[in-house]
Amino acid sequence: MPTASISLRDAGRTFGATRALAGVDLDLKPGVTGLLGPNGAGKTTLLRLLATALPPSQGRVRVLGLDPEVPAERTGIRRQLGYQPQEVGFPRGFTAFAFVDYIALLKEWTERAARHAEVRRVLDLVGLSDLGAKRIRAMSGGQRRRVALAQALLGSPAVLILDEPTAGVDPEQRVVLRTVLAEVARTSVVVLSTHQTEDVAALCERVIVLDRGRVRYDGPVTDLVAQAAGRVWLADEPDPAASVSWRTGTGRYRNVGGRVRDGAEHVEPSLEDAYLLLRGGAAEDEPAEEVAS
Amino acid sequence: MTGWHLDDDTLRRYVERADSLAEGASAEQHLLSCEPCRTRVNVAASVTELSVIDLAMVWDRTRDAIEVPRPSVFERLLRGAGLPASEARLVAVASAFRGVWLTGAAAVLAFAALAAAMGHARGAWLFLVVAPVVPCLVVAASYDPWMDPALEPELVTPYPALRLILLRTIAVLALALPAVLLFGLTVPGETAFAWLLPAVGFVAAVLAASTWVSPLRAAVAVSCAWLALVSLLATRPGSPDAIIQGRAQVGFLVLAAGSFGIFLLRRRQLRQLRPWR
Repeated sequence: MPTASISLRDAGRTFGATRALAGVDLDLKPGVTGLLGPNGAGKTTLLRLLATALPPSQGRVRVLGLDPEVPAERTGIRRQLGYQPQEVGFPRGFTAFAFVDYIALLKEWTERAARHAEVRRVLDLVGLSDLGAKRIRAMSGGQRRRVALAQALLGSPAVLILDEPTAGVDPEQRVVLRTVLAEVARTSVVVLSTHQTEDVAALCERVIVLDRGRVRYDGPVTDLVAQAAGRVWLADEPDPAASVSWRTGTGRYRNVGGRVRDGAEHVEPSLEDAYLLLRGGAAEDEPAEEVAS
Repeated sequence: MTGWHLDDDTLRRYVERADSLAEGASAEQHLLSCEPCRTRVNVAASVTELSVIDLAMVWDRTRDAIEVPRPSVFERLLRGAGLPASEARLVAVASAFRGVWLTGAAAVLAFAALAAAMGHARGAWLFLVVAPVVPCLVVAASYDPWMDPALEPELVTPYPALRLILLRTIAVLALALPAVLLFGLTVPGETAFAWLLPAVGFVAAVLAASTWVSPLRAAVAVSCAWLALVSLLATRPGSPDAIIQGRAQVGFLVLAAGSFGIFLLRRRQLRQLRPWR
């Protein structure tokens, strides 16, 4: 079986005068890759490029060796693709089973018994086996996210693109979903964007940090965390020179970056520390670049 | 465990589930504590190739009964008309086929037809304004992203969007045209049927315009243009039917053919597929 893969060369996307993504070079293989970055960094745009929901304005995208700009090849990609958008609207009155069944039909599962079995399999995977007959409008936000994830898992896709799959999902279910995604990633390329650094730390072997549409970091999670080694410390006072500093539950201040003071207590850095350090404590939301006219 | 065992006849009837409730319960009680008889049950079931209950199948059927939504009347009609079950479902899930939409469209039509049938001076005008635009508004509602919130997951499936749109359009026409025709029967004069070609032209125009703007906007624009044209004619002397008679009908035919040609040529720019430009 050929190895699933994605490659981008100098890929970029603009919306009018706004550059959402610029000059991205990536090669993705089976495994889980996490996308981190502030709002407006280009995560969703990148995921939509990979999911064939959006064409690049520049550069080249290849998914499973196929060119999404060629209609027949785009259809070929879509046959092996699962995509969970950031926002999924659900048709009024649909139950979880009916919605996933509808998407399964669009994914060419025409044989009724096989389709229903597949719909049940994915609902079971995301922990909704008892809620198939429940109307989606009556579900919690976390349950709706799981319905959206279930439709992405249909047919065990070779490429799985997930935009904030764990947003609003309770901790127990997040652990379940991590297990599911880790299993899928044994043979599939899984790319997920999230604001939950603990999900990336627990699940991803590779992390890509985007900032203003450009790749700021691309490498193993452990290497990113290692960059913060010795630069995270606890003190009784906040350090104005630190990238970020906040009061913890113990009453002491956790400082990331800056000069370590005498008597400070070094702590093991987390991925969140490393991410904040990389970003230099910048504001969470950043405007996308304007394209020079 | 006692030295007693199920005799062959009882065992056979138990395996074939031909025993009485009491007999079966008694046999089952014995089987719980008797390994040799359990072995004989397994052998009897396999040798005689009896259909032992497939629990997985039973469970699937039970879940089917609970989870699988019952097809709507419209979906059953589509199946009855020969559309495969899977495609009937794809067509029927569109918002435009929900009861509230159909009831609304039928109510507007009924009102217009009633006004025309009662011989009210403006009745025929009203029917002329409403009848040709109802089909194009419902067509737009059947695939507009605003009406179809599941757009993005739908967009990246291998099912051809063009096929889905045309299927829904045909279904709308199959549903709307007979309904409007039925109401038209109550309208005196040629207005009763002369709106058909304009309606087809408007549907084609909406499909073509959807390659530039959203389907609902296209349908609203076409409807407003038609309303403006009929209103303009209403201020002039003469019969309102003039706009749908003679050479005007040829014009609607040209509009339909031309618009459909544009739609096919520009189908990759469909608003439904707007990201992929």
